[in-house]
Amino acid sequence: MSQSPHLLTPGQSSMGKTAIVAKGLQKRFKTGRTYIEVLKSVDFDALHGDVTMVMGPSGSGKSTLVACLSGLLRPDEGRVKAMDQDLWSLPSGRIDKFRLDNCGFIFQGFNLFPALTALQQVTTVLKYQGYDVAEARRMAMVALDEVGLGHRVNQRPSELSGGEKQRVAIARALAKQPRLLFADEPTSALDGENGQIVTRLLQRAAKEHGAAVICVTHDHRMESFADRVIHIEDGRILDDRRVTSQPAPAAADRPLIGA
Amino acid sequence: MSLALATLLYEWRRYLAAIIALAFSGLLVLAQVGMFTGIGKAFTATIDRSPADIMVLGPKAESLMNGGNGLPRRVMAQMYMHPEVVEVADLDGGGGMWSNDPPPGKKRVREWIQTSAVDTRSDAVTWPRDYNENIRVALLEPYSVAIDRTGMAKLGIQKLGDRASINGKTVYIRYILDGYPNMMQPTVVVSRDTLRLLGQASTGSRVGPLMVRIKDPARAEAVRDQLNATSDKAYRAWTRAELSEANDGAMMKESFIGIMLGFSVFLGLLIGVGITSQTLRGAILANIKEFASLRALGVSMGSLRMIVIELGFWTGVAGLAATAVLVGVVAQLAKMGGLPMSFPIPMVIASAGFLMLIAIASGLLALGILKKSQPADLLR
Repeated sequence: MSQSPHLLTPGQSSMGKTAIVAKGLQKRFKTGRTYIEVLKSVDFDALHGDVTMVMGPSGSGKSTLVACLSGLLRPDEGRVKAMDQDLWSLPSGRIDKFRLDNCGFIFQGFNLFPALTALQQVTTVLKYQGYDVAEARRMAMVALDEVGLGHRVNQRPSELSGGEKQRVAIARALAKQPRLLFADEPTSALDGENGQIVTRLLQRAAKEHGAAVICVTHDHRMESFADRVIHIEDGRILDDRRVTSQPAPAAADRPLIGA
Repeated sequence: MSLALATLLYEWRRYLAAIIALAFSGLLVLAQVGMFTGIGKAFTATIDRSPADIMVLGPKAESLMNGGNGLPRRVMAQMYMHPEVVEVADLDGGGGMWSNDPPPGKKRVREWIQTSAVDTRSDAVTWPRDYNENIRVALLEPYSVAIDRTGMAKLGIQKLGDRASINGKTVYIRYILDGYPNMMQPTVVVSRDTLRLLGQASTGSRVGPLMVRIKDPARAEAVRDQLNATSDKAYRAWTRAELSEANDGAMMKESFIGIMLGFSVFLGLLIGVGITSQTLRGAILANIKEFASLRALGVSMGSLRMIVIELGFWTGVAGLAATAVLVGVVAQLAKMGGLPMSFPIPMVIASAGFLMLIAIASGLLALGILKKSQPADLLR
């Protein structure tokens, strides 16, 4: 992983290119004496610059799919090729490094440390990426500005609303300039207005930053912002529908962050 | 400020339980160590605080407690044959039945006691270094005795000047000592003359352990070796430090103090491990989702482990600080009650190290959950 993510920023040039491909993903879990097949030979791909929604009822395997794609959960069968690397053939240390360099995550529950301010939430991860304190702080400020929290950087999670917390989490994910952005039910805990803000931020990450945004949701309000909607049920893809046309390289080469 | 320290400070309520558990198990261990060592030190206080450089015991003695039957009286004179020996005196004492002179309506107290004689010269080899002039003057009077503050109740003494009797001979309490408690049997300090008046001074051919002062205390080891070289198996000379150590060792090994201390230290640490590990585990589990999200963002397990080790370390530091305060308070209280505590440095270091180990290991144990569980389950 020689490429530093911040040198290779917002590849508008990579728009429309395949970011991640999965073939024949299978995953089963043991519950009691029986196995439940959560993923039954799923093929999947996502493009840079696309917001790809993975929709389905609970228990359909969509979160498991995202975990397998992002290197969090090893599939029993199948391969994941992400950023031109065979993800699951890497040793676990390299998978961590891959995620550190390329992946952003946003969760339903925000998962922010109660003790840290918004700014510290973001810089903590950046420091692990190897940025020095000043640089991490600068990048974090840009990211927090981007999500509209430039004025609340010193607040702790307890002083922020749900929507603001999720925006801090998004800033934390975006500050590291991910090429792959995974979101697991990012709007489920939010009201309509905040949900829309979050959705727009995800869309902007894809359109302006060229990230492949893979978003698991059963929130139908988000569907209208998607470029592609994939329905999954009982561990199988039922339906894969492109809503917008293939993304074309945009004219303005404007990065989301770190401009 | 690091993530670990920020978390500990911000969520101090969560970690307080672990800190208190650490502090109290530290207190439990150290207070017991302090108390038993203090009591033990009191046993041998007359040795530790004597100005003697060398002590001479029977040839097969292993410590003052099992010192055999003393040694022939002629050894006393033999000591002076060494040119560096300045003064020789025997540790004399006896025992008897103590009974107080009860105030009207109160029951008479009867108690077996032991007597211990000192020479009432401030430069005598049997005169403990922390005895002051007042004690000396008080003991100069025939039939005057000094007892330790902790023995007053047991001996039925209310105040200075009270009257009591030893084996039917009337004595007067002329001084209350501090720092010479004896938890087995009360010790009554008298002058050598009073001991003689009480009929307890040794007159036979054998005498108790000898206290020897030499010209240059720094030469104690050399003189001891020279004395032992010519002992012809009639006696064995010890330096004071050597004997004190042997006494401590004998006390821990042979008396119930050692067993009690060992058991209570074990108990204290067990409680510490149990409560601390559970509370610290709970505190870290409360943040497990946040740790899982860092893990998802690519922070390695090793880095997370470092955070948790640091968290355990700071918890341990806070716990040890609280231990120090509690132990300080307890030691002060004990001192006020006439029981001096003593804290051997190796025991303190060992306890502190163990408490720290508990804190860090409990944190790491909690992190094991993160490793074992599916990240997808935690990240909801």
